[in-house]
Amino acid sequence: MTRTFPKLIALMFALGVMAGCSSTGETQEEGAYGSDVSAVDQEGGSEVYGGDGSSGVSSSDMTAEERAQESAQAEAAAMRKITTFYFDFDTSEIKSESRDVLVAHAKFLSENPNRSIRLEGHGDERGTKEYNLALGERRAKAVERFLIVNGASRDQIETISYGEEKPAVMGQGESVWAQNRRVELIYQ
Amino acid sequence: MMRAFLTLVLAGVLAMPAQAELLIRITEGADNALPVAVVPFGESGGISGDEDIAQIVRDDLAMSGEFAPLATDKMLSLPSKGDDVYYRDWRLLGQKYLLVGQLSPANGGKDVKAQFELFDVNQEKRILGATATVSAKNLRTLGHHISDRVYEAITGTKGIFSTRIAYITLDMEDGKRIYRLNVSDVDGKRSQVRLKTDEPILSPAWAPDGKRLAYVSFETGRPAIYIHELSTGKRNKIAQFPGLNSAPAFSPDGKSLLLTLSRDGNAEIYKMDIASRKLTRMTDHWAIDTEPSWAPDGESFVFTSDRSGGPQVYRMDANGGDLKRLTFGSRYNARPRYSADGKNIFYVHQRDSAFHIARMNVDSGDESILTRTQLDESPSVAPNGRLLIYATQQGSNSVLAVVSADGGSTYTLPSRFGDVREPAWSPFVN
Amino acid sequence: MTDNIRESNSNEVRPPWRKPVVLSALLHAAIFFFALVGWSWSNPTHEPPPRSISARLIMPEKTQPEPAVKPKPEPEKAQPEKKPDEEKQKELERQEQERKAAEAEQKREEERKKALVREKEKKAEAEAKAKEAAKIKAEAEAAAAAKRKAEKEKAAAEEKRKAEERRKAEEQRKAEEKRKAEEKRQAEEKRKQEEAERKRKEQEEAKRREQERKKREEQLAALASQSKQDQALADQRRAEQAAASKARDARMQSESEKYEGLIRDKVGANWFIPSSAQPGLVATLEITLLPTGELVSVKVTTSSGNSAFDNSALSAVRGISRFPVPDDADVFNRYFRTFSLQFDPKTLK
Repeated sequence: MTRTFPKLIALMFALGVMAGCSSTGETQEEGAYGSDVSAVDQEGGSEVYGGDGSSGVSSSDMTAEERAQESAQAEAAAMRKITTFYFDFDTSEIKSESRDVLVAHAKFLSENPNRSIRLEGHGDERGTKEYNLALGERRAKAVERFLIVNGASRDQIETISYGEEKPAVMGQGESVWAQNRRVELIYQ
Repeated sequence: MMRAFLTLVLAGVLAMPAQAELLIRITEGADNALPVAVVPFGESGGISGDEDIAQIVRDDLAMSGEFAPLATDKMLSLPSKGDDVYYRDWRLLGQKYLLVGQLSPANGGKDVKAQFELFDVNQEKRILGATATVSAKNLRTLGHHISDRVYEAITGTKGIFSTRIAYITLDMEDGKRIYRLNVSDVDGKRSQVRLKTDEPILSPAWAPDGKRLAYVSFETGRPAIYIHELSTGKRNKIAQFPGLNSAPAFSPDGKSLLLTLSRDGNAEIYKMDIASRKLTRMTDHWAIDTEPSWAPDGESFVFTSDRSGGPQVYRMDANGGDLKRLTFGSRYNARPRYSADGKNIFYVHQRDSAFHIARMNVDSGDESILTRTQLDESPSVAPNGRLLIYATQQGSNSVLAVVSADGGSTYTLPSRFGDVREPAWSPFVN
Repeated sequence: MTDNIRESNSNEVRPPWRKPVVLSALLHAAIFFFALVGWSWSNPTHEPPPRSISARLIMPEKTQPEPAVKPKPEPEKAQPEKKPDEEKQKELERQEQERKAAEAEQKREEERKKALVREKEKKAEAEAKAKEAAKIKAEAEAAAAAKRKAEKEKAAAEEKRKAEERRKAEEQRKAEEKRKAEEKRQAEEKRKQEEAERKRKEQEEAKRREQERKKREEQLAALASQSKQDQALADQRRAEQAAASKARDARMQSESEKYEGLIRDKVGANWFIPSSAQPGLVATLEITLLPTGELVSVKVTTSSGNSAFDNSALSAVRGISRFPVPDDADVFNRYFRTFSLQFDPKTLK
């Protein structure tokens, strides 16, 4: 009970943040990259994404594809506005709800090699400062690895840990701490 | 705690019947602090400065947790020299020791000379008589010096009242977070800012000579380790590697530092020779290894590692061998510090949702929790091993508290600052 | 259980080396006592009437004792320690025998003297009578001149008478001799009788002595067995005393323990263990109190080596104006007049 309660709050908080930024937030449970597409698909042209890109491309299809692409780009741009990723206490495991957004960032970075980011790792105030520094760094590195795996280049990414020195929210209690255990992605 | 609970022993139960004499063994003493009377010092001639020497001594002794100074308004007489002392007065008040003294100007009024005498009231005996001279501007120095003399005369332990504390403060100024590195007296007075920046300052650590501080500063936007010479303000950036630059700890000989770097991938402990800046990697593990602290003999060090799944305290030989896990009591034990005698370690220990300072006997593994506050952090041991300073949460702010190394008494340092953290107790300074 | 008990025992029982001496002295005293009692108790029945005392006084000791009176060597006594008594007794016996022998001798001497006197008297009488007879004869011869004839007859008669007288004298002499012989015989007889009596007495005396000896031996044996009994009794008494003393000790000890606890608490509450105290630091102080509980003196008997620690102990003791002590003077004297306090912190700060 006591163990799951903070997680639940964290989950709800994460949901709230994502719901505000994306209409497809509800689908996070599926946890797959394709879920975004299916969300797009609801507005038509689902087949476009269903195939592997057919050779015979009709104009109408192109129009639909363009529309879909525009829509997807808009969606991705909206998703890239999410730059904060949350963690459980004393872990550096990327939560499932963060994956789609991080994939969007990775895709953007791979498509824009001249862009670079800085990943700032943070912890909550509990525990020791130096261990939290190391933990913040581990979180930032976990995010960095995920981005690289999904197309970003190592050269585009810089990491730093502030440990518990720069909390996002002042105060105490699990809801505050949950907001402070995070990695912030900042475009340079 | 436990009231006198004692064992009786009759001497030579089987042997030497003729010599048989009753022997009563006293195995436990008083639990309360030792009543001591510090009489306001007499003054002859004009003494500039408005410091109350006797009050400084009283506060110092009270902070030790071992003494209970008598309030001035309870005193029946106010002698300032031995000839005027009537033991009966102090015996009636239940006082065990009595300090009297007087101040007089010296060196044309630039200095102040103190003559002071300490009496054992029960034995009706003077156990200390001394004089000390100090610049008139440094009357608090004089007060702490007298406290040290009194403390040592009664307890046989060297006093720490002339040592100092380094600590970090964080304040919001014009919407910016302002970090300061401060050094103050042990009572929190006479604090001086040594570094101010709007980026984090972390992990102040004293060199064994008490003249230098190492710390981590983010002032360049990235963490770097500096060695700061206090008398000149001169600084040396000795480490700014990619990734972490953290947790500096001077070796007992002052020639090298242990520090945490992640330049090779993740947080590992390295040893740096200060003169040559040569690095030796001490740990090699995918887990976090950090927060090293040298044993006083320099033969080994302790550190935090989460290689078991959560942070725990480990010990390693100075040459990198003989790794041993020391803590098992809970899922979170971190940032160990050796006691002055090397027999115990003090560390942050999680119990339920609270973090406390715990002590463990390194040989026996016996563990005890010393603090009762929440979110306790950054224990640092006084050079005489008797006291521990640490940071704890008070309201929304972090404050510094002093606890006796046995957990007996707690004393919160007064601070003007909103948020005080990471105290580091200096070595003895001459 | 405790030394105090041992101590109390040692107070009641002399050191072991003294025991045989005491026992021996007791035994001697007992023997002598019994010997004396036996003597004065058996004497009146066997001894002659007290006149012997005056006789002994009259007759000097020098009087040659008859060989028979000489004390026969007594049979060897079983215990050589008894010699002085035995000799004393022998001496007494010898003196007694001498006294008896002297008495007999004196008696005989008196008899002899009497006989001599009587003989002399008779001799003188006989001489006087012979003279008378000669005178008468001469007168008759003178008258015979005149009266020869008549006188012849007369002479014949006279002769006859004379003869008769001579015969008579002779008879008388003979009778006297006979009487003398008789007297002598009688004296001899008496002497013999006395000798026999003396021998009988001696025999009786020997017998009596033998009996006495036997009796004494019996008494000694009895004494020995008595001493054994006494020993057993003494043991029992000692055991009882030990038990009583044990009980008293136990009582005193429980009383003592009560006050030990009170002192411990009071000193402990007054003792401020200095922070420099290390495990193993121990200081021992010797305390001397007045029966009122007030401190007479305190001194460090074993220093801890840490002056602050020693001082804390001294200060703790001196800080107590009155120690809790028992009212019972015995308990106080035994335990609390002088005792030690050992300062041995179990839990160090």
